[in-house]
Amino acid sequence: MTDYELGIPDIDDALGGGIRGGTNILVLGPPMSGKDTIINNIIYHGLASKEAAIIVSTEESGEDMLEWFSNSGMSVDAYMNLFGIVDCVSATLGLDVKDTASIRRVSGPMNLTKISVNITNYFNEFWMKRGVRKARLCVNSLSTMLMYTNLQAIFRFLHVHTRRIKTANSIGFYIVEDGVHDAQTMETFKQLFDGIIKVEVEEGHQFMQIIGLTPQPTKWYEFAIDDDNKLNIKRRSDI
Amino acid sequence: MVIPIALPILDESMGGGIPPGKSLLYCIQPGVEGDVFGMQTLYYGLENGYKAVYISTSSSPDYVRERFREFGWELESYEGQLDFVDAYSHFVGLDSNEKYVVDDPDDINNIDSVVIDATKNTSNSIIMCESLSSIMDMCGEIETIAKVNEWTRLSMLYDNTSIYNFTAWHYSDETIKKIRSEVFNSVIRVGGIGERVIFGQYFGVMKADWCEPSRKTFLFRIVRPGGVRVYIPKILVTGPFDAGKTTFVHALSTRAVSVDRFGTTVALDHGHIDHKGLSADIFGTPGQERFDPILKLLGGESMGVFLVVDSMRSNTFARAKDMLKLTKTFGLPCIVIANKQDVPGAAPPERIKIEMALPDDIPVVPVSSKEKTGVVEAFEMLVDNIMRGL
Ligand SMILES: Nc1nc2c(ncn2[C@@H]2O[C@H](COP(=O)(O)OP(=O)(O)OP(=O)(O)O)[C@@H](O)[C@H]2O)c(=O)[nH]1
Ligand SMILES: [Mg+2]
Repeated sequence: MTDYELGIPDIDDALGGGIRGGTNILVLGPPMSGKDTIINNIIYHGLASKEAAIIVSTEESGEDMLEWFSNSGMSVDAYMNLFGIVDCVSATLGLDVKDTASIRRVSGPMNLTKISVNITNYFNEFWMKRGVRKARLCVNSLSTMLMYTNLQAIFRFLHVHTRRIKTANSIGFYIVEDGVHDAQTMETFKQLFDGIIKVEVEEGHQFMQIIGLTPQPTKWYEFAIDDDNKLNIKRRSDI
Repeated sequence: MVIPIALPILDESMGGGIPPGKSLLYCIQPGVEGDVFGMQTLYYGLENGYKAVYISTSSSPDYVRERFREFGWELESYEGQLDFVDAYSHFVGLDSNEKYVVDDPDDINNIDSVVIDATKNTSNSIIMCESLSSIMDMCGEIETIAKVNEWTRLSMLYDNTSIYNFTAWHYSDETIKKIRSEVFNSVIRVGGIGERVIFGQYFGVMKADWCEPSRKTFLFRIVRPGGVRVYIPKILVTGPFDAGKTTFVHALSTRAVSVDRFGTTVALDHGHIDHKGLSADIFGTPGQERFDPILKLLGGESMGVFLVVDSMRSNTFARAKDMLKLTKTFGLPCIVIANKQDVPGAAPPERIKIEMALPDDIPVVPVSSKEKTGVVEAFEMLVDNIMRGL
């Protein structure tokens, strides 16, 4: 059973149609490799399919996040009642911290208690008030959270939320910078996830691969991001 | 003078409030907005002339002021009564103009000396720690607990009432045990109900060493502005025509009314139950198909559902299952009431379970609404299912 499409046709095909509900996925790649764009594309595909989406943003304010989508030809205006951002940035920059319907601010990336409350409240609203049964959660990124608090605390946070993703039959994406954290950190993270979306850059070419969701890892797909920030798989390359 | 918690139901069950020198911990399930209780107590205290110290450990004092404002609580009006211990700003490189500032918020000794300083400078006041768990995350579990023991002891000497918030992540068993039973004079548990999503929140007193606290559990909602509101859950009773819904609602309820005409329900049944400290509002739907269009309006905000079937009439079981969808309660905790078990030849629950092809998590309970047997058992079972996410 595949409940969630990524919206990247070649990869959905390789996964037998998409991803099963209840799956938690690590998104791993070096800085600037296109992880955010991949994830935002996947989030947008969910919204456009009338699924709910929640982004925990530790690097961009909620407003910047929304602007990214509208500048990218992926306007989320029509889906605002299914979209929630947990903004961990504005308060640390001394910006306005009033909440809006779809941007809830927490004091900073280490305030795991409030991040957790906001994720939970969004899930509750989408499920109970809007009757939406499918939701995508994206935490962008665990690497930033690690700069503010320690691995154990984040592990405890993820322990709770990966389990909730499972029981709610949702899917979760958790972004981590590759090559930045020590081996123990990576091992700790990997225990929590069912699969990995791995991103690489080689001589200016971008590649991605999915590990753990099929008996064998998928092949490496070369991809490109167009002017509208839309992700396209390059067909010719069989690497 | 005790400090009122500012929630009548809690004050009642804890002997009127928190006596001076005592400590109270809110032990909060992750994801549940449990810190509003302490905020409410603090604000009510300020309004009543108490002084207070707020130890902010995971947000800047300005952010805290903004959060209070969401509830209609203006801390600015009480500037002279309230001091902050700012154990956050320097950690993220923000400036701080507060009276007490911790230079090194990830150094427990630094936090300790500032907190002790603030505690000794005040008496008969409320001391509120925003998040004990965030100090633990930063400084270590054992190290933090050792200091908190000292802080609560000092509070006792200076007649300060201290309130701590603690998010109950999966800390070591040892830590959880200490936190729940040793370190604090009283503990209130705040949790969430629901498996797939948390759709209800509850609190209950686990411990209070100055009185005999009541063991009740209460559901609550957070409202903005306003704060904590005790909340009575709604339970829906639905099922096919003539299955016995109205009779069931009346059998279960402490008090109930129905809008019936010629023995059939034309609007709804409404009952209220108080049972072992838990109350609930019960709503029964009509069963006739001509009312189907309004069913979806009745199911809204229910936390659980009784699906009543007439055990004599297996030809209505398909209709019964449809009604879960029509009321939009499909997926909520559900109990099937195998009603009219007093009638000879009534199908046993096991057979109904098979005939209805029910999933494992929907139990079938034998009931005679007429003779009021099985009714309370069914209620307890549903509440239990609702609360299972605890
Ligand atoms: N023997 C027996 N009769 C019952 C029981 N419960 C209900 N009845 C009878 O069943 C008939 C219908 O009961 P109601 O409670 O009005 O049923 P309802 O489901 O509310 O009906 P509608 O609102 O018209 O859909 C009445 O004659 C009741 O007396 C029971 O447990 N045993
Ligand atoms: Mg009736």
